[in-house]
Amino acid sequence: MLLEARNVAKAFGSFWAVAGADLTIEEGEIVGLIGPNGAGKSTFFNCLAGDTPPTSGRILFDGLDVTRATPEAHARAGIGRTFQVPMTFEDMSVLDNVTVGAFLRHPHRGDARDRARRIVELTGLRPDQPSRSLGTPGRKRLGIARVLATEPRLLLLDEALAGLTPTELHEAIALVRRIHESGVTIVIVEHIMEVIMTLTRRVLVFNQGKVIASGTPEQVVKDEAVIEAYLGRGARRPAE
Amino acid sequence: MKHLLPARSGVCLLAAALLLFPLVFTGAFYRDIGVAFLLAAISASAWNIVGGYAGQVSVGHSMFFGLGAYAPLFCFTLWGWPLLAGIPVGIVLSVALALVVGLPTFRLSGHYFSMATIAVAELIRIFFGTWTLVGGAIGLQGPAVARGWWDLTFRGDLAYYYVFLGVLGLLLFVTFEVGRRRFGFYLRAIKESERAARSLGVPVRLTKLKALALSAIFTSTAGSLYAAKTGFIDPDSGFGILVSVQMVIVAALGGAGTLFGPLIGALILIPLQTAANTWFGGSGSGLTFIIYGGIIVLIARFEPGGLYDLWRRVAPIVWRRAHAA
Repeated sequence: MLLEARNVAKAFGSFWAVAGADLTIEEGEIVGLIGPNGAGKSTFFNCLAGDTPPTSGRILFDGLDVTRATPEAHARAGIGRTFQVPMTFEDMSVLDNVTVGAFLRHPHRGDARDRARRIVELTGLRPDQPSRSLGTPGRKRLGIARVLATEPRLLLLDEALAGLTPTELHEAIALVRRIHESGVTIVIVEHIMEVIMTLTRRVLVFNQGKVIASGTPEQVVKDEAVIEAYLGRGARRPAE
Repeated sequence: MKHLLPARSGVCLLAAALLLFPLVFTGAFYRDIGVAFLLAAISASAWNIVGGYAGQVSVGHSMFFGLGAYAPLFCFTLWGWPLLAGIPVGIVLSVALALVVGLPTFRLSGHYFSMATIAVAELIRIFFGTWTLVGGAIGLQGPAVARGWWDLTFRGDLAYYYVFLGVLGLLLFVTFEVGRRRFGFYLRAIKESERAARSLGVPVRLTKLKALALSAIFTSTAGSLYAAKTGFIDPDSGFGILVSVQMVIVAALGGAGTLFGPLIGALILIPLQTAANTWFGGSGSGLTFIIYGGIIVLIARFEPGGLYDLWRRVAPIVWRRAHAA
């Protein structure tokens, strides 16, 4: 078991954004995390990435307790994440952005540079491009490239594919698949069902801070609780 | 990567100009400006490491400058030490202060960090003004006549000029090396987004502390050199807020976070300041504040990246036009 979250909860004041969520991920899996807006996906995600320590519960990564570890400790341990809004280092070139990530495992400049260059190539970006001139798809790609350079064992993608055109989307799906095939375990938060259906074998559905359903994508979209969460009561199909 | 202007020959040209300047312009007035320029360039370049590269805008760097200035004169007054031996004392004290100040204040961000640094520097200034051991409001004096070269007390400006130039050269070399290495990449990443930097495993607080300590080493050295040159120090010229503000302005005018930005800033500001002081005499001392204020407004409004950034954008255009003709 690579990642295990037990009864994770996070309160903001009296509001429980995450109210006791469990998640276990095996090495080599690719798991989808879906749910309506405000379901607590992002908060849960931030708990897993170390950005917001949970109010209660425990998170184990490869047997190591990382519940209250800092984001940088998470990165060192091998948990990488992207941001919903890509936080690009605007004043740096694409290659420099990725080099920052590569320095984590390669303290020497030459090694970090080589590593970064290979990853930029893999993601199909232009190394010398100033990153401020990138559009949304470029930024999302750069976000993935940057975290990939830290050589994570577990990659948490937070809507890394949202806001792309259909062509860009297919390229991005192919990229995520390549990353997965290279041996990285992936958790992906996504609204676009096409991404979930094509990439994942297992899906967790979040609503009101809890996991309300899990299974294969095909099972989940037929699940009554899921349909109710998205569309409300009374939206069930009439019995056949 | 292709350079529009050959960088290497530019640096050689600059070095040659700085080396030859006091030999060509031998008048006391020009040498005075030259020394003042170098001192401002050293202070601003030292500030630049933490204020420019890491984007942590300290407006209290006079705390290190002042410690650096007081240390050699203090050791001389009390124990008769050579001034040169007081420089490392100032550095050790400044680094210790950097760690003590940095640990709590680096939890703050943006304006709050700047305000905290002002507060600390002011506290120290007031404290030194009432502490009789360091001369209170009157301050301390250095040796009237040098007992040897190690007292760093020279008759003409020429020796100071080359000592300062050597320190500036060393500082720029260190900054250049830092910029190429992991440390420099981490500083720039922190400046742009701490959250993103942390997610990539950058130990943000430790990196900031290291930057502040490195910056303090050279700021303190600048203070020591100033004290050796002037021969005396009081709380205002050591710890005064104008000392801190000048570092910020010089670096920001030229281009904070760039290697040569502070140099460019000092090149413009120091002659301007000296000219203002000469033209208006003693009544012109308040004018320095007005010039600073005006520059802050202009930079903030039109060129937040400083003149170096402007030049980087404009130079290629000029270059192309010149070659097209």
